[in-house]
Formats: sequence, C-alpha cells, structure tokens
Amino acid sequence: MTNLLSTSNQEEFGLNVLIIDDNEQITKMISSFLDMSNYECTVVNDGKEGLDLIKTNQYDSIILDLAMPEFDGYEILDALQRENPSYLSKIIVLTASNVPIENIQKFKELGISSCLQKPVDIDQLLSKIIDSSV
Amino acid sequence: MIKIKNALFLIFGITSFIMFYIGILNYLTTQDKSIGLVILIFSVIVSLGTLFATFYISKNLTKPIELLVTRMNEFSRNNLIVKNSLDDKGIEELQILHKNFEDMANKVGSALKKEKQFNLELKEMDTRKTEFMSMISHELKTPIMPILGYLQLLKKEELMGKLNEKQLDALNEISISTEKLQKLIQDVLMAQKIDLGKLTIKREMIESKKLVEDSYKSFAPICENKGTKLVLSLGTTEMVYSDIDRISQVFSNLISNALAFLPEKNGIIEVGTRDNSDNVTFFVRDNGSGISEKQKKNIFKKFYQVDTSSKRKKEGSGLGLSICDGIVQTLGGKIWVKSSLNQGTTFFFDIPKAKIPVEPFKSLKKSYYLKK
Repeated sequence: MTNLLSTSNQEEFGLNVLIIDDNEQITKMISSFLDMSNYECTVVNDGKEGLDLIKTNQYDSIILDLAMPEFDGYEILDALQRENPSYLSKIIVLTASNVPIENIQKFKELGISSCLQKPVDIDQLLSKIIDSSV
Repeated sequence: MIKIKNALFLIFGITSFIMFYIGILNYLTTQDKSIGLVILIFSVIVSLGTLFATFYISKNLTKPIELLVTRMNEFSRNNLIVKNSLDDKGIEELQILHKNFEDMANKVGSALKKEKQFNLELKEMDTRKTEFMSMISHELKTPIMPILGYLQLLKKEELMGKLNEKQLDALNEISISTEKLQKLIQDVLMAQKIDLGKLTIKREMIESKKLVEDSYKSFAPICENKGTKLVLSLGTTEMVYSDIDRISQVFSNLISNALAFLPEKNGIIEVGTRDNSDNVTFFVRDNGSGISEKQKKNIFKKFYQVDTSSKRKKEGSGLGLSICDGIVQTLGGKIWVKSSLNQGTTFFFDIPKAKIPVEPFKSLKKSYYLKK
C-alpha cells in the first residue's frame, strides 16, 4: 500500500521531525502518524532534553508544546532566541493553552513558523510541518 | 433656621428684662418706697435667676445635641464613635438619645464590616472560579487531541488498512460524540473569555444583508434535512462596522436553539434584519413552544436551561445564550427576546450601524467613522 503523502513530493520523504510535549498520548499519536507517513520522528517528553536535542541535532521541523512542568515551551523559546535564533523558524507551537494576543504577536516577530491550538487536525499539522521545513 | 441657644436667650432675655423693668417702673411710681424696693430686689433676683437658668438649660441642651451631631458626622465619615465625659451629665432624655445612637451605630458598623468581609470572600471565590475554568478547559482539550487524531488516522485506509462498514459506523459515532464534547469545552472557554473581558474583536465594514445571508446559507441544508422551512426576511441592508465571525457565532447559536425547539411538523425559522434608528436589529424567529415570562428573565444567564416538557431534551452547556449576550454587548449592542408560550420565540440583537457623515458644502469626498 503506497503512502500517498510520500509519493506526492519526493523532497518531503524522510523529513526529520522533533516532538517536544510532556503528554505521552499526544506524542505517541503524532509520532505514529508521522512514522506511518515515512517521516523520521524523535519524541521527547521533557523540555530541557528537548532544548539539548535542538542544539545538538539538525531537525527540519520542531513541534513544541508550551505548558510543560519544570522547563516549559516559553523557556525553550527564550533560550533559542538568545543562543540559536536561526532554529526559531523551524518551530511549530502546538498548545492547549489560551495564548494571549501579545504572545502570538511575539511569536510572529521571532519568526516562529506557526502557532496551533490543540486539538489540531492531523492533516493540517502535516501541512504546517512541511511549511516549517522549507 | 433658629438655634436653640438664640431662641432661649431671646425668650428668657426678654422675659427677665420685662420683669426687671416692671420692678423698676413699680419702684419709680410707687408711694411706698420700702415695699417698692423689696419688689425691685425681688424682680432683680428673679430676672437674674431666669438668666442663669437660661444659661444652664442652654448648656445642657445645646451641648449634648451638638455632641450628638458631631458623633453622627464622625460615624458617617469614619465609622467611629467618639466618646467623652459629657455622657453622664445633663438632661436624661438626651442621654437616652445618645445611648440609642451609640447602639445603632455599633450595629451598623458591625454589619458594614461583615459585608466588606463577605465581598472580599466573594471576590476570591470568583478568582478561583476563573482559574478553575481556565485550568479545566486546558486539561480537557489535551486528551481530545489524541482521540480526534486517532479517529482521523483510522479513516486513512492507506495507512491503517481498510475498515468494514460496522467499524466505520462505530468510528462515526465516536466522532459525533467527540464533536459535542469539543463544543462544550469551547463554550466554557468562550464564556470565560467574555467574563474576563478578553474577547478579541476584528471589525470590518459589512452589509447587514450579507451577514444574514451567510448564516442562511450555512443552515439551509440542515433545515432542509429536518423538513424545516428557513425564511429570509431583510428589512434593511445598512452597513455595520463589526466582527463577522462573532456575529456568525451569535446567529449559529440562535438558529441551533431554534431548531431544537421547533414543533414536530411545519417548523419555520425566520432570520432577517430590521432598521432600528442607529442600529440594525437582527432577528431569529421560530414557531416553537415559546418561553414563559419567568424563563425570559433568566434565559441569558449562564447554565440556565429552559426546561421543556417535550420529548426532545435540550443538550448542551447552557452557555449558548449567555455567550451571545456577551458577544453582542462587546460589539456595542444588546440582545433581547420576545415570546409567549406556544406562540413561538423571537430573539433580537442590535448592532450599531456604521456612520457615514457627508461633509456639507465641501468636496464630494466621504469619510467613514464609527459611532461608539
């Protein structure tokens, strides 16, 4: 059974995606979907680990949750803004929180690829991943 | 206005002077100077006595009254009662008056204190409620994502394999219930945003006609499926400067409600506009079971559900109308309902018109501004 997604555009085959979210059910669901769609998927449920991975590895797209215990998405964004601002364009913020307008503006200014509200349509997520990898 | 002191001195002053004058007159005109002198001395004593009495009464009458006035002032400003030694002397009636005032002031003071305390507690409860709603809606949105995600995944044959009809049907049922759950959560979140005054508005110039037509088009298929007649009734096509999405939301809520309360057969829903001086009035009318006076008073309150005796029970959060109320108010309008039992219901909401003043005598250029 052919994967319609991977055959539609050869360039998307094997995109490297990092998922940072403390909720295991969500990370499992997204990574299952991406695996089945022939993407390389790395899952991490801890913010600090996530930041380390961003700095040491190259990813085409990073899905970032905001509300996480101990080290949250905002802290990751702050760290990247200071130390590795070039990675910000690869980030897709995916959160269940009600993001205030000022923060959405700030995200745009930082060059973050997109800001999505949970629950998100998985096809829409996929198209945003493709957008961010360019 | 007369002061007690002045009145007393006036009256008794005159009286004692008259007495003294009579004594003198008598002394001057009498034959018997020795008796005349006695009378004169007597009249001097009485008149002096009257003067002293006047002083005494004045002091014991006016001072305590003035003190009471001062205390009342002090109490009304600072909730304090000033005590002093004058309390236990003087006129008994005034003393009772003072004591009663003190009792009353104490009662009022403690009641005010209790009310202040109560208000603080209410404010704190309100804050906690808001925090709770915020946390709950976040927590609820989280597990919904994997549910919807897997539902979508399962329907992708190319990834998960082909499903048989029973399986697809089961998936569909799960989808329907999950969507309802989602709507409930969205309602709670929206109600909370409105409460906190954090509802975002994006205004555009739009024809009121277009707003109604959009809602008409989206609900036409559902109405047709149900055998309900959907009627468009445009009384005006004036422009408004408002938020298209928010107004659609209001229409959506109102029409969904109407659908739930229609009669079994020959249900009619009418949507449209009317001119209302500075506003455009939008309305949604149904020929359903109607609302009683009591229900009308409460219907825009949060969580209030109209108890219907019909077999169809109204589902949902009970927040729909309070959300409509919040949205309409944020847009600068108001919402109201007209209805009688078994005679249908009409919900009206006003949205301010966009004002277009034409500059007189000058160029033909028009400028748009909004009326707040």
